[in-house]
Amino acid sequence: MIDEIQTVWIRYNLTERTIEHLQIFTIALLLAITIGVATGLFLYRRRRYSPPVFSTLNAVQTFPDIALLILLIPLAGIGTVPTIIACVLYSILPIARNTYTGLISVSPELLEVGRAMGLVERDILMKIRFPLAFPMIAGGIRIAIVFTMGIVTLGGIFGAGGLGAPLQTGINLMRPDIIFVAGIWVGLLAVILDGIAGGIEAELKRRFGSW
Amino acid sequence: MINRLIDPDQGSISINGTAITSIDEIILRKNIGYVIQQIGLFPHMTVRENIGLIPKIEGWSHVRIEERVKELLTLVHLPPEIFMDRYPKELSGGQQQRIGLARALVMDPPLLLMDEPFGALDPLLRRQLQDEFIGIKEDIGRTIVFVTHDINEAFRLGDRIAIMHEGRIVQVGTARDLILSPADPMVAGLVGSDHLYRHLENLTNRDIMRPVSRVCLLQASTSISSAIALMTDGGEEVAVISDGSSLPGVVWISDLLRGGRLSGTVGSYARSPPILRPDGTALSAISGMKADGDSIALVMNGEELLGIFTPDEVLRRLV
Repeated sequence: MIDEIQTVWIRYNLTERTIEHLQIFTIALLLAITIGVATGLFLYRRRRYSPPVFSTLNAVQTFPDIALLILLIPLAGIGTVPTIIACVLYSILPIARNTYTGLISVSPELLEVGRAMGLVERDILMKIRFPLAFPMIAGGIRIAIVFTMGIVTLGGIFGAGGLGAPLQTGINLMRPDIIFVAGIWVGLLAVILDGIAGGIEAELKRRFGSW
Repeated sequence: MINRLIDPDQGSISINGTAITSIDEIILRKNIGYVIQQIGLFPHMTVRENIGLIPKIEGWSHVRIEERVKELLTLVHLPPEIFMDRYPKELSGGQQQRIGLARALVMDPPLLLMDEPFGALDPLLRRQLQDEFIGIKEDIGRTIVFVTHDINEAFRLGDRIAIMHEGRIVQVGTARDLILSPADPMVAGLVGSDHLYRHLENLTNRDIMRPVSRVCLLQASTSISSAIALMTDGGEEVAVISDGSSLPGVVWISDLLRGGRLSGTVGSYARSPPILRPDGTALSAISGMKADGDSIALVMNGEELLGIFTPDEVLRRLV
């Protein structure tokens, strides 16, 4: 059993594939966090835009990920780029929504005290609203991690590399052992990353959460 | 409204003669310490960061902020080395409110606004914090605008009390002014003017004594028979004997009658009662008299007799 796993692992370069996978994942996630937090912040500043923007992002979310990747072929071809675009499109919603909610749901007494102390709006945003929204934002990022993990794998089947590639090989060659090893490993990675994110979220809640 | 979180629809608010609408609101707020009932400590900051937030924004040095925080924690009776680095959720309600006060004082503001700061605390703790507050109030010597719904809290803590009703200031005065001359029936009802017995702590001996104008005064040389006649005519049980020079005494009609003599002067029946200061509190006078078993006391301002203090009179005044 272990021998078989080892053979598949070495034969199909799963170590390099994992690194490749995590690279695509990291780039996609960082982009999604940047764009998602920026979107949330923008919508907090211009609240009247929030219903249309969130409706649009929700609509994107209802698209099956495989359909999205296919739709991106004429725009971005196949490979890493469309995979990252798809990941980001999917992950903006949870991050932006949680950022927005976190920023607007700070308790009114804290805002009143902040204003009464003579804090300007900028300070209130940076020193009070944002830190108190951290746990919420982290929750959004955690959802995005799970999405991204899935889409990067799917993108691998469409030529993006990463751990989707050996899965594709396994499907083509009808080799359940490859599918099994690569599949379980992707699942395990997702669980580990989600666990780490959950830990960070809990720590942020402890540190910055209301009580 | 004083710190312009809300702007008035009508009327104006001035601080030392300057209309607050003419002051930049950020500058105004930095000069007004603010404490609210919900306390509003920032949960993501330690005690040190909460108190030091504005100084940090103002660009104080780290050392200076730390010194100021220590100084304030000491002022509110929390040892700095224990509390500096705690988070608000690690503090009890009373401790949090003290930190709230320390934070409000950090820029040494000339004016402090406190909006029902002790409203959410249990009665024992509230009492304790009120006592501490009285001490801190003396220490800092700042003007404090203290909003409360508890009239007894206002009486305990306030030097001047403004009663607001439906957006207007109905009356401003000391606790005694409000109790003894309420501006309207609403104020009278609120402060309990018709239940003065509740206010023994706030009333002075002068407020509930029988003034000298309504006291039967006799010379020491008055004969016993005419004294009895005068006192029975006036319906007085007791008269004050003063001969101008020495301390006055009192004479009870019951003593005169029991003595059975008609000749002689009242001076021989004179007793010397305890003396009270006019501005002592009625409560301490009554408890002092109770402890010593006295049934009458004289209220004197130096050599001058102002009135007498008797249980009958106290009862009549208070109820």
